[in-house]
Order: sequence, then C-alpha cells, then structure tokens
Amino acid sequence: MLPPRVRRAFRLSLHRSDHAETDTDDEIRGHLEMRVAALVARGLSPAQAEAEALRRFGNLPGAREALQETARRRERRLSVVESTDELRRDIGYAIRQLRASPGFTLAVVLTFAIGIGANAAMFGIIDRLLLRGPAHVREPERLARFYYSVEEPGRGLFTGSHLGYVAYSALKDHVRSLDGVAAYSANEATLGRGAEALKIQEGHATADFFPLLGVQSHLGRFFVAEEDRPGSGQRVVVLSYALWRSRFGGDSAVLGRTISIGDEPYVVVGVAPKDFTGVEMQRVDLWIPMTVRGPRIHPEWSTTWHAQWLQIVGRLRFGVRPEVAAEEATARLLSAYEGDDPGMRHARGSFRAIGFDVRGGEPPQVAVARWLTGVAVVLLLIVCANIANLLLARALRRGREIAVRLALGAGVSRIVRLLLAEAFLLAALGAVAGLAVADWGGQLIRVALLPDVPWGDSAIDARVLAFTAIAAVISAVLVGLVPALQASRLDLTGGLKAGMREGGGRRSGLRTLLTVTQAALSAVLLIGAGLFVRSLRNVDALHHGIELDRLLVVDIHWPRLPASAAEDEWNRVRAQQTTFYEQALERIQGLPDVERASVAIGTPFHGGLSLGISVPGIDSIPAMPGGGPWVSAVSSDHFATAGTRVLRGRGFTVGDRAGSERVMVVNETMAERLWPQQDPLGKCVKVLGRPCARVVGVVEDARRSALDEPSAMQFYVPLGQQTSISGSTILIRPRCGEATRCAGRLADLLRSELLHMNPNLGYIDIEPLERGLEGQVRPWRLGATMFGIFGAIALVVAALGLYSVIAYGVAQRSHELGVRVALGAQRRAIVWLILRQGMVAAAMGIAIGLTIALFSAPFLQPLLFRVPADDPAVFGLVAVTLLAVAVGATILPALRGARSDPMRALQAE
Amino acid sequence: MADRPLLLKGTLDLLVLKALTLRSMHGLEISEWIDERAEGELEILDSALYQALYRLESRELIAAEWGVTDNNRRARYYEITPAGRAHLEKERASWLRYAQRVQAILALRTRAV
Repeated sequence: MLPPRVRRAFRLSLHRSDHAETDTDDEIRGHLEMRVAALVARGLSPAQAEAEALRRFGNLPGAREALQETARRRERRLSVVESTDELRRDIGYAIRQLRASPGFTLAVVLTFAIGIGANAAMFGIIDRLLLRGPAHVREPERLARFYYSVEEPGRGLFTGSHLGYVAYSALKDHVRSLDGVAAYSANEATLGRGAEALKIQEGHATADFFPLLGVQSHLGRFFVAEEDRPGSGQRVVVLSYALWRSRFGGDSAVLGRTISIGDEPYVVVGVAPKDFTGVEMQRVDLWIPMTVRGPRIHPEWSTTWHAQWLQIVGRLRFGVRPEVAAEEATARLLSAYEGDDPGMRHARGSFRAIGFDVRGGEPPQVAVARWLTGVAVVLLLIVCANIANLLLARALRRGREIAVRLALGAGVSRIVRLLLAEAFLLAALGAVAGLAVADWGGQLIRVALLPDVPWGDSAIDARVLAFTAIAAVISAVLVGLVPALQASRLDLTGGLKAGMREGGGRRSGLRTLLTVTQAALSAVLLIGAGLFVRSLRNVDALHHGIELDRLLVVDIHWPRLPASAAEDEWNRVRAQQTTFYEQALERIQGLPDVERASVAIGTPFHGGLSLGISVPGIDSIPAMPGGGPWVSAVSSDHFATAGTRVLRGRGFTVGDRAGSERVMVVNETMAERLWPQQDPLGKCVKVLGRPCARVVGVVEDARRSALDEPSAMQFYVPLGQQTSISGSTILIRPRCGEATRCAGRLADLLRSELLHMNPNLGYIDIEPLERGLEGQVRPWRLGATMFGIFGAIALVVAALGLYSVIAYGVAQRSHELGVRVALGAQRRAIVWLILRQGMVAAAMGIAIGLTIALFSAPFLQPLLFRVPADDPAVFGLVAVTLLAVAVGATILPALRGARSDPMRALQAE
Repeated sequence: MADRPLLLKGTLDLLVLKALTLRSMHGLEISEWIDERAEGELEILDSALYQALYRLESRELIAAEWGVTDNNRRARYYEITPAGRAHLEKERASWLRYAQRVQAILALRTRAV
C-alpha cells in the first residue's frame, strides 16, 4: 500500500474536512453490518445480532460526534501541511529558475531595490513630518495651534500665531470646547560662559504644556504650576535627553544641580524623554518656565497686549470640531482685548494642525516632501512596468516550457502560482537591497536637505520596515500578474507547435503599452526636475545687493543684565560694548585671513529695525508693502565689506562718527520714493524728530530677510550717530572667497581672539550670512535634487525598458526580417521599420506625460520660484531628451535587425 | 460481566498498535483479534476502539486507507506507521515494568497486625 504522503503528493483519494464526516459514517455503518453478519454466522437471529452489535458499540450518537470531530481536525491540519509543502516547492522551483539566470535576477533585484528603497526612504521622512507628529505627544491629531487673522491695510489678510501671555490667560480655563490650553516659545541662549559657552535652543513653556501633550519625563519631573506663577516664576530647568547625555554625561546626579543659562542660575529638576521637542519639529535643548522668560520680553509681560512672542496650543475636546472651538476662543479673546490695534478688534481666530507654520500654512519642506513621495511612487511604477516587461519577455521565451507543463497536466493555477512565486521572490530580494538604499538615501536627505528636523537615530524603524514589506508585496503582485495572466491565456497547441519562433502582435502590444507608460511617467518626472532646477537657478541668480556668500557674521551673546538694573548700569554696559566692538574690529581687520570687516547694527537675517522718519517738504512717508523704513547703523568700511554698490555720492568714511555732521546713506527705493526725479544728495531726513541728517549717498537695495520680499525703504547712518537701536554684529569678508569654505578655520581663530579680549563673553555665533537664506532655498534645492535623481533613474530604467522591448521584438522577428531581406527589402527600410516602432512608443509616452504634467501644473506652481509650471522650454527640452534617448535605445537593435541573415531564415524553414 | 477488569488508560492504544504490527486490519478485525486473545476477559466497546483508532491516526502513529474485505465489502484499513512501531516499543517496555511492579506488590503476603 502507498504511504499517505505519496498518496497526498499525487492527489489520490485526498479528503478535505467535509469528506471526513461521510467517511466516518461509512466506516461505522460498515462496521455494524459486518458485526451483525458475523454474529448471524455464529447462529444468532438477525434481530438478536443487531441488538448485540449495537450494545457492543456503546454510545453510538456520542461516539459518532466525537469521531467526526477528531477526523475533521485531522483533515484540516493535513491541508495546512499540504499547502505549506506546495508553497515550499513553488519557491524552491522559483529559486532554481532565478539561479539559472543570475544576470536577469541581479538586474531585476537592483531595479526593485531602487524603486522600493526610494519609497522606503521617502516614507521614513513623510512619516516623521506628516504622519506620526512630534515624538512623545499623545493624540497629536487632537492638538491644535491657535492662529488669528486680521485684515491689514496694504498687506491684505495677515494670519499669525504669535500672541502674548495675556491671550493665553484669556483662553486658559475659559474655552469649553478645549480640554486644555498651554503656551510655549523658544529662542537662542547661552549655556555656561567663556570658552565653555554653548549656544542652545531654550524652550519656554507654561507648566500645563507637558500634561497637555501627555509627555512623561525621563528623569525627575517637569516643572509644575507653583513654579510658573507670574511674579513668582522659579528658575528651574528641564534638560533635553540629548543635552543631558552630551553635556552632563547622562548622570542622574544632575538633578538638583545649579547650571548657568545666560548667566543666570537655574536648578535642574528633570530630564525630558529622548527626542522630545514639544509640538514643533525643531530642536529644544532645555525647558524653563514661561514666567521666567516673560520679564525678559516686557516689564508688564503678563498683562500687556503689546508683547507677542509665544504660541498657544489647545487640545480639542473629544469630538469637537476645530471651527467650533475657534469660534468660542475668538469671542473670548475679543472680549478680553484691551490693546489699541483697531485691526485686532475684528480678528478671527482659528485652530489649525500643529504641523503648520507660524503663518498658518503648510511648511514648504512638507509640501515638497509630499510631492517627492508622489515622485517616489511614480518611480516605483516605472520600475514595476519595466520588471513586468522583463518577466513577460521571460514568460514568452519560456512559453514552450509552460505549454509543455500544461500539456503534462500541471494546472493553469499552478503555472500562475509559479510565476507569482518568482515575482514575490524577486520583490523580496529587492526589498532587502532596497532597505540598504533607504538607509543610505534617507540619511543623506535628512542631513543634506532637511537638517532642522529632529530625526530619530536610524532611517529604518519598524514602521519603515512594515511599509517596505507592503511595498514589496504590492510590487510583486503588479509585476507578477502580467506574465501570470499571459501564461493563463497561453494557447496550448500553438505554444507546442511554434517553438521559439512565435511572437505575435498581441503580446508585443502589451509590452508596448508598458513601455509607453514608462515613457510617460519618465516625462512627468523629468519635467518636475527641469522646473525645480530652473527655480533653483533663478534663486541662485538673484541679485541680493549684498554678497551673502562672501560674508561671515559674528554675533556675540552678551551676558544678560538683570531686568532690575538701573539706567546708569545700562549706559555703562552699552559704552563698554561700543568700545569692545571698536577694538575688536581693529583687531579683526589686522588678521591676515580677513580682507575687510565692519560693525553693523541691523544686519540682514538678524532681525530688522525700523524707525519713524520725517522729511521736510513731504507730508507723510509712504507706506511700503515691505514695511520699514528700515535702519542700519554701520561702520565706515561697511558697503565695501558687504559688497553693496554705492550708486551715487559716497559711503561712510572714518570721519563720519558720533559728534561729526549727521549724515545718511539711503537705498535706491527710498531715493526714488521720496525724491522722484530729484537729486537726493544733500536732502534732509529727520530720524525720530532729531535734527537733520544730510543724505550723502545712494546704495542699491539689499536683501533684508527673505528671498522673495517686496521692496522697502532703507537708510544707513554712521555707527555712533544712531538713535535708540542696539545689537551689534561684526561682518567679515574673508580672503578665501566663499565664506562657507573658511568659516570653520576662521571661526576658531576669531573666537579665541575675542575671548582673549573679554573672557566673560557668552556664546559667539560665527556663521556665513548665507545661512540665513539656506532654509528658504532648501525646498528648491530639495526639489531639484530629488526630482533630478529620481528623474535620471526613471530615464535610465525607461530607456532599458524600451531597449529590451525592441531588442526582444527584433530577436523574435529575426526570421521574418531575414525573409524580408531575402525578398529584397532595403536594409535602410528595415532599420526604419524598427526605429519607427520605438519612436511611436516614445512619442505616445511623451505626449501622455506632457499632458499629465500640464494638468498638474497648477498644483506644482506654488512650489516653484519664478518659473511657470508649464514652462515651454522645460517641456520642449524633456520631449527632445526623451526622443533622443528613445533613438539611442532603438538604434542598436534596429541595426542588428537589418543584419538579419536571409540564409539562416531560409534554412530554418 | 461486572467482574471484568477496567481497562487502564492508554492500554487500548497499545493493544491496537500491537494488533496492527502483524498486518493491516479494519476496525472489526482488530476488535475480534483482541477478543480472541483476551479470552473474553476484556470487553472493549467498539466506540472506545474507534476513538482510539482516530486518536492514533491523528497522532500519525497509524494510517488509514479504504480497501475491500474478502467478502467484497468496503472497509477502512489501518496500518501502523514507523512512528507507531517506535511508540509501541517504548510504551510496551514501560507498561510491562509497571505491570510487574504492581503484580509484585499485590503478590506480597501480609499479615494483619
């Protein structure tokens, strides 16, 4: 008798669990009948025999039930064992198939790795930016930041989230739609002093901030309401996990220690959990109570409506819509408002997602990341189309083998399963390799393009792994389905008869469709890349009126003076600092690596200062969309140092100083606005009602704080002649050319020089001025880089795809082409015949791609910089490029086709 | 019938396996084989026998297959698997040791104090 395993393998007499019941009944019935027959043979009457047989059996209904249950369970288990056996066999077969063609396998796995890896990397980024929200925040979807919108004359609707403590007090405990309200802010500060000083991000929060977010401290505790009362705020501090590890060695004895922040003593009460950054995606090194921060902002910080520095977050009550909460909060805010801004009396409040920026919009890097995710998906589609094409070609080449298998009795379902197993295996290998791509690429994007976001340790976490697995499964189904469908439709006798020579129109039609798809998607990506590259070039080509890339800014964090200090004290310190900057400038100008240097109050990207002016003969100073008039007080060599061109008159000289004649240099906009068609030189401008300052020069407009800012009036006064502005920085023009190149080397030298002059200085910030613009340029850089990389990959993959289709077609038709040659066809005609096929596919793809790009143009437009999203130059260039690549991919197989040997074709007949 | 000894748990399994070491049999054959050798001392209900058979089949100690009897009846034939033989060998030894122990204890002559 055959062992059961063999029988199962041959699918002989296999029972499924529903058969188990009838089997059991048959067996019991047979048993009883035979027992009766045996008893009758021993001389019992049929009736006696039947009674005895039943007695011998025992509890028949109960036993029947129990036996059937056992049988059912057994069959179920067997069927599981069987299907895993089959799966193992299918995979084993697939492995053997792939081993037999290592080149093909490698190509497919690498292509998969790129497609899946790019998606995994982008998912890791989107996950942090969009999906998961800030670390350690419970139910971030119910948290919302409070924004207010006011109609501002000349500027339109202004939306912002910066409010005062008084607004927080007004909302706290008074909005029933909210479970709670908290306020937070952040700024730069110095930890320690002198050479040990460290620049840190200081976070300020009301005590209810931490319970509102639902965060638990890693060590010790967060500060509590008693420590955060206006008027009696306690100097307590909660360290970030990272700072605790790096600065305090992760020692738990740090609790209770006193540390110096901005020259003030604070007691450490706790350590925040790892990667906790509040509700923003920005690093925070330590947290102090808002009531300690307040007095540094304004003497009446807790009651004034004039100081607006903090942001308010609320937790929406479960099931409450943000609009409802906003309405309630607006009413509450307006009834409490006692300020003098008429616009605020008509302000509208709104609650928006905490992922939004201070203006209530989606931050540009998030928008770009969202687009890049789309791009990654498109890339994966191209990759899948290409691999499906390769697998299809393989399936066709194996058409005969498959036909033989079908003829031998393998079910179609089994063939489909084999092909799918192959696809799954390839996708799984690709996913593993893709994780390496994701790790490397993810880190690269994080560091190079999105450095401000506090990322976790690794680009690969459990969620990325899960995503990768899902992406691999979907890809496998996508690429496996096409050849599997093909196989299931295979014409059996045709396949057996035709051998290697077939290759019908229908099948190559499917492959052409895949090629057209690839070309279309590549066109879309390349157009995106082109638009972003042009944006970036427009950004780089901007004339800033100041040579941002050639300047270093030295920003010294001075020890804070206590708020209670007397006026005398302030004056003494101010005079001391002025002297310090004079001496420091002299010293720095003497350094061999420094070409020029100047001191300025009011530096681009370091906070603008604006003052009221009046001009004799002009009734009112016109308001400009860019605000202002802005003011800077600068030392004599400033314009030469900054690279701002003097258009008329002169810049400042050493002779322009405190006590000398009051002079002023104005920018072009100011000259044109105040004195159109007149000579501005010699005019009088009064700053804050002080005596006339004579205009001695006109300079070009210079960048203030943003890439794309409306023009504004700006004037410069000599350092020492300024009124009521302070906060000096030193601008340095190094000899090395690009400031970023020598920033590091020069920074150490400068720090030691300055600390030598005054060892009590706080942190000394030395950065290229360009850094201020970096964050603004980043979205375009991100877009140009990623679209460029993905577009290039897509182009290569699509070119390979086209090549493989054409080459395969030529190989399939070599017989037909040979016959044509034999019949006297011109070689040139044959080249054209094949070339045309590739061109048609490419042209169709390009046309579809351009159409898609045209339709998505309005959505992409806000992300571009001074480039129309339907820029004809970019569209044209992409079309030409793709066509050229298509010719390149087609010409080789076309030439090969033209060399088809007529003799071989005829002999084969 | 009241004085027939109880069948200890697991014993029936061993008897079935022992029966099947000779040849493959269907349920009735096994029942009759045991009856003959027990000389009427052990009455095993057929329901118990079949539960033992199904249990053993689930544990893959025996395998079943439909066949035809000498009288041209359809019946399910059981055969012992290699795992079944190994199991029987092991259990048989420990059962015999156990029975000897019990017998030795019961055979002790004791005097009432």
